[in-house]
Amino acid sequence: MAFPEPVLTKRIPLNPADRKKVWYNDYVATGGYKQLRAALDMSGQDIIKTVTDSGLRGRGGAGFSAGQKWSFIPKEKKTTHYLAVNADESEPGTFKDRHLMEWDPHQMLEGIAIACLATQCDIAYVFIRGEFHHGTKVVEQAIKEAYHHGIFGNNVMGTGKKIDCYVHRGAGAYICGEETGMLEAIEGKRGWPRNKPPFPAIAGVFGRPTVINNVETLCCVPHIMERGPAWFKTMGTPSSPGPKLYGMSGHLNRPGVYEHELGITLQQSIDMAGGMKGGAFKGAICGGISMGVLAQHQLDVKLDFDDVRFRGGCLGLGTAGMIVMNEHTNMVRALRNCVRFYAHESCGQCTPCREGSAWMKKILDRIVDGYGKARDLEMLLELEKTMGSMPGTTICGLADGTAWATRTFINKYYDEFAAACPEETTKRVSLPISRGNREVATPMGSNTR
Amino acid sequence: MPWIAEDRRNTRVAQSQPLLTDELKKQIADTYFPRYPNKRACLLPALHMVQHEYNWIPPAAMQEIAEFLEIAPAEVIDTATFYEEYWLKPKGKYLIQVCRSLSCEICDSRKLTDHVCKKYNIEVGETTPDQRFTVVELECLGACGNAPVALINDVMHEDLTPEALDAELNKLPDDPHDYKDPGIKFASGH
Ligand SMILES: Cc1cc2nc3c(=O)[nH]c(=O)nc-3n(C[C@H](O)[C@H](O)[C@H](O)COP(=O)(O)O)c2cc1C
Ligand code: SF4
Repeated sequence: MAFPEPVLTKRIPLNPADRKKVWYNDYVATGGYKQLRAALDMSGQDIIKTVTDSGLRGRGGAGFSAGQKWSFIPKEKKTTHYLAVNADESEPGTFKDRHLMEWDPHQMLEGIAIACLATQCDIAYVFIRGEFHHGTKVVEQAIKEAYHHGIFGNNVMGTGKKIDCYVHRGAGAYICGEETGMLEAIEGKRGWPRNKPPFPAIAGVFGRPTVINNVETLCCVPHIMERGPAWFKTMGTPSSPGPKLYGMSGHLNRPGVYEHELGITLQQSIDMAGGMKGGAFKGAICGGISMGVLAQHQLDVKLDFDDVRFRGGCLGLGTAGMIVMNEHTNMVRALRNCVRFYAHESCGQCTPCREGSAWMKKILDRIVDGYGKARDLEMLLELEKTMGSMPGTTICGLADGTAWATRTFINKYYDEFAAACPEETTKRVSLPISRGNREVATPMGSNTR
Repeated sequence: MPWIAEDRRNTRVAQSQPLLTDELKKQIADTYFPRYPNKRACLLPALHMVQHEYNWIPPAAMQEIAEFLEIAPAEVIDTATFYEEYWLKPKGKYLIQVCRSLSCEICDSRKLTDHVCKKYNIEVGETTPDQRFTVVELECLGACGNAPVALINDVMHEDLTPEALDAELNKLPDDPHDYKDPGIKFASGH
């Protein structure tokens, strides 16, 4: 396995001072949109086969085979098909899609156009989170250029095919990153995830067949078309081939987005980002906080979709947005921060998620304030088991994130948590009422400010 | 005199100028109607537009949006209350949003919030009496690699220290419309 040169970031230099936005002319001058031209002469099935053969797995978190997902879309076209591009990057630790969109938007657009050809989609919506004002403007401008040069519109590159592409801005809700939540948001409703089935491939946005892909997944597509599945498989591990953007943040000397093949070790990824800052390694969130945490003894875990799960004891690789923490980090506070996020972002449809996360946050607040009791840890672990799509009590995977974060943090740093929760607490348990709303989480759906 | 019952049947609700002006309506109809198969899907863009125009979303505007998109006002409220970015109460001219999620917290984002709160003598979630600044903390802004970060209106500021943020705040122009993202330079031509 080797990784000789950057793939997804080949037009985005590592050094921020050298970076320049890649607009249409620069993109075409460096070989852009050639693969779209080639794809226009291929049948949809051939494109899907190429992508399936490459083993490309979704980069949005779930790691599902992209080609297989495309093949679920009905072959015989009866109604409009849609492509929904997931650029609602709000998981703490994840910031790779922003990098791709802000610097090289046309790479994504080429991927979108090819995906639309493969699955016979007529309209693509790029769902960008509301806070990415800059990214939205860049993508909108790029789409305008693409229309101008006949990449989108009624006559794609002069072949008479029709693809439309629009930006749809979100409005500050993490849950709209969940695929069906995103579809609801596109329809102009609350971003409440839907019960599946029906799956989006059959009845997605506006009740029509819909493909949902992450930005990075789509950015891989033109490269696969260009150099073929065999080349793609020379990178990464057999089960998780290809390049991957690692979003390195936290206590690092040179945090940022780095590209490498899948399956490098945690230690390698830390070295890539300039090594630890301010102290020795203590733990790393492995791909957005939903996935859980890797501890000191797991520096040799391979960052691919499977090893993190089986040897790392986490939910998965997620988006490879690593938050690296040094030895001075208070893990109880770190977990409190994660759980507060979920308590705040739960959409409120399922009781175990809505009440469970709020309850867990209260317990953790208590522990952080020094009023922890030994029973609290048991309670946290008990609550955590009741929520998620794995026990089958919730609609979407947000609750799994809460559960896995809690589980891995407490189990891997048990001593630290136990020390914060003495057997018998002598302090009276009456909490100071905090003033202002600094600590008061506003759950989604109660926007009353 | 207050104790004389009003004749409710003849009460006229004073109707001021519409908030959803013809110009806004035209913009929505021209840009967004062709993009979606139904009008309801234009709700999020319409709310964004109104908020951009008035800096918040007045209840009357929601009613007018409902009429324009041919849905019930309750449906507009249902959607608008879900999303955090829509302000259903007035906010300051400048909205300072400091990220508080894990990457930022371990890189001392708390210091930023504390600094801003002290500078303007307000708590998180409050607005200064002159209606100029509102400070909130929010969850991940998607820029963890440059933590700690804060968003002032539409502009993201990265790798902040309390001093850097202070300097940025002192530089803000009087009119928020003059405050533009310096990073955007489009290619020449279209
Ligand atoms: C709570 C939750 C939040 C999610 N947030 C995102 C997100 O912000 N961006 C993203 O690309 N995928 C996100 N996903 C994953 C999507 O549901 C979906 O798996 C993905 O967009 C599929 O694209 P892919 O196959 O290309 O990975 C989220 C999932 C869940 C359960
Ligand atoms: S698990 Fe949580 S976020 Fe997901 S649908 Fe249920 S309540 Fe909403």
